[in-house]
Amino acid sequence: MTRWKISFGALAAAVIFAAVALAQTSSGIMTQECRRVAGRLACLCGCKQTVAECQMLECGYSSPLRQKIMAQQRQGKDDDSIVNAIVTERGNEALAAPPTQGFNLLAWWMPFVALVFGLGAVYLALRRFLRPAVATTTPAADAKLLERYHDQIEKDLEKLD
Amino acid sequence: MENVGALAVLLAFCFAVYAIIGSVVGALAKRTFLAISARRAVYTVWVLLTIAAAVLVTSLIQGDFRMAYVAETSNRDMPSVYKFTAWWGGMGGSLLLWAWLLSTYSAVVVWQNRRKFRDMMPWVTAVLMTTEGFFVMLIAFVASPFKVLAQGKGIVDVGDGQGLNPLLQYWTMVIHPPMLYLGYVGFAVPFAFAIASLMTKQPGDSWIHTTRRWTLVTWMFQTTGILLGAGWAYAVLGWGGYWGWDPVENASLLPWITATAFLHSVMMQEKKGMMKVWNMVLVASTFFLCIFGTFLTRSGVVSSVHAFASGTIGPYFVTFLAIGIAGTAYLILNRLEYLKSESQLESVLSRESSFLFNNLILLASCFAILWGTLFPVISEAVTGEKISVDAPFFNRVNIPIGLFLMLLTGVGPLIAWRRSSFESLKRAFFWPAASGVGVALGLFAAGVHHFYALVSFMLCTFVAVTVIIEFYKGAKAIGSKSGQNLLMGMMELTHRNTRRYGGYLVHLGIVVLFVGFTGKAFDLNATVELGTGQTLQLGHFTMRSVGMESGQNGNYQWSRLTLAVSKDGQDLGTMSPERRFYVASKQPTSEVAIRRRLDQDLYVNYAGPSDDGTKAVIQTFVNPLVSWVWIGYWVVLIGTLICMIPSKTKLVFPRTEVVGIAKHDIPTPEEVKHDTVEN
Repeated sequence: MTRWKISFGALAAAVIFAAVALAQTSSGIMTQECRRVAGRLACLCGCKQTVAECQMLECGYSSPLRQKIMAQQRQGKDDDSIVNAIVTERGNEALAAPPTQGFNLLAWWMPFVALVFGLGAVYLALRRFLRPAVATTTPAADAKLLERYHDQIEKDLEKLD
Repeated sequence: MENVGALAVLLAFCFAVYAIIGSVVGALAKRTFLAISARRAVYTVWVLLTIAAAVLVTSLIQGDFRMAYVAETSNRDMPSVYKFTAWWGGMGGSLLLWAWLLSTYSAVVVWQNRRKFRDMMPWVTAVLMTTEGFFVMLIAFVASPFKVLAQGKGIVDVGDGQGLNPLLQYWTMVIHPPMLYLGYVGFAVPFAFAIASLMTKQPGDSWIHTTRRWTLVTWMFQTTGILLGAGWAYAVLGWGGYWGWDPVENASLLPWITATAFLHSVMMQEKKGMMKVWNMVLVASTFFLCIFGTFLTRSGVVSSVHAFASGTIGPYFVTFLAIGIAGTAYLILNRLEYLKSESQLESVLSRESSFLFNNLILLASCFAILWGTLFPVISEAVTGEKISVDAPFFNRVNIPIGLFLMLLTGVGPLIAWRRSSFESLKRAFFWPAASGVGVALGLFAAGVHHFYALVSFMLCTFVAVTVIIEFYKGAKAIGSKSGQNLLMGMMELTHRNTRRYGGYLVHLGIVVLFVGFTGKAFDLNATVELGTGQTLQLGHFTMRSVGMESGQNGNYQWSRLTLAVSKDGQDLGTMSPERRFYVASKQPTSEVAIRRRLDQDLYVNYAGPSDDGTKAVIQTFVNPLVSWVWIGYWVVLIGTLICMIPSKTKLVFPRTEVVGIAKHDIPTPEEVKHDTVEN
């Protein structure tokens, strides 16, 4: 009897929990303007997506932030000032891409620095592997040597006859 | 039964260690019997790990909830197929899958080459078994899937488990992880051959043929795994996309890129005896990036939505990577003398040079992805400040690199081996370039003004026309001699040189993939609350909420929304996205509804009822051209399979010059004949 009660209680708790979870799934409606700003911000719930794209149920980060962005847009604030306010509050982690200043500039530069180094390496490889140009001019024939060869040919031909 | 599994793993570890010692001592002391016994130890490791895997799978299917792993990753009401896939749903099980696949590959390699590469095979065995030993050690001593739940001195049966992560209860998850692992694990084989060739000071070419084939097979599995993962993300995660530049996604892409570079540069070694050091570096990088990817997925060093199993195994991986990379670097530097190039380039304007640039761009892309993935960790270590590096960064850096790579994909085949003249290039480039520019202008006139999209479509046309002309010219030449029609001529052409024309098909598949990627530039989306009878308009589509219903089964509870969909007034039927709540794991998931078409997908995610419960919150996306991503995959797969078929015409690659011996510059008749066949 006790086991039956525990099982029934657990099932009831699970159903209530599920119902609450399903009821709290509103992820917030986004306007296109909100999506534009939210696309510049990282969702910090662990989904590795932007605030515009996070689809996590009950996301405690993106849903309220979208509401906040839309509220500030209704107040007439522009995109940059909304983003800056969020960064001031949350730090640079709130941005979906590293800021282009200080140490974080390295994030943007390094791939292209590596590309330039790579181009240098390819240039060096080409220099090393390229066969030296072959002289294309024909050296002037030695007249005496040529005459000797002709004589020899004549003699050989005579022998054949 | 768990004792049998644990014992099998422990014995497998002992046999792996024996195989390492036996093969190394056998190779150094020239004791053949030791090398042979090491080979047999490899087979034994496979048998033991098969037993361990069978024990785990049986426990999962039978629901032995005394075992911690079974209780964590399955529950009674899960369908049997997902009970089976729970094998790789957690840490210990996924490591066991890794180790079992590697033991299978090792056994096949050792069996296939038991009468070949007599000097090298003991070293191949040693490298494979070192990797095997590392993973089996983790399973045996760090993350065993055979632990039982205990309370005091007694074993506890919890009666039912927590269930597999609901996100993993999807059909592609049945094959996505094994495919990806077949890719990850398979790259150990080329690496083992590379190290063996260095150890035995044999820079020769016979092993490179073997490794190229292995690399191609594993590259195919890796490609399949990556695309299946993308398909899973698209259908399950509910955010309307298939690639989010997540660290774990990136980790799977990194070795794929280096392996792609290797598959191109290996041709230089086969045909010219060049780039031997570089190929060693690429093979080693691919292998270590695979280990690095496994480390990223399992260690929790970076946060990821795909990190379904994380734990404290990070330091072990770091140690293995550090020792492995240091040892490989030392070995390559120590053997530089044996890796000298046998030929020289004759012109900057040659196929050889294009391979150099192709490798450069692939590696630049690889570095950019690796850098972006690790930068949050680096930044926090240096500045103490946390930062995020998400999709906007990767898109901005990688899109230009990717487009340049697409350009090279088209340019490469137009340039002849050894040297090309500007005149011949002008002729070869004219139609592909004109077609590309024509398409771009046409699209611009039609209203497409997205810069990257225009460039992408232009380059895709350029490459596609290049490939089509190659097939057309070859097939026409065959047809004129044999009287075959164009289609038969193309088949004959492909059969004569499967590697070359299979490769072109792979390029065509990449073009189709890029067409699909480019569609992302034109996405539409909207998130709204819809009451019954209310409508939503998105692009050409109109969606009317018909109603919501809910229910439950043993595994989950569900809430389903039905939408009547029409396009430009034409009725398209209904779509029924669903929200589920898995009882055992207490986790919700989305079952999105997707109407897939070649021009665009209509994608609907039901996010659940609104706060007051009267309306449905839906997220809708119109995703143009996404289907071309999946079509592109099939073209790549067919091309890769064709590459593996032996060519009808046996090609030989005589070297043109040996370093240190002066030879005249006129090609020999053999070379002329070879160039005619090749070009």
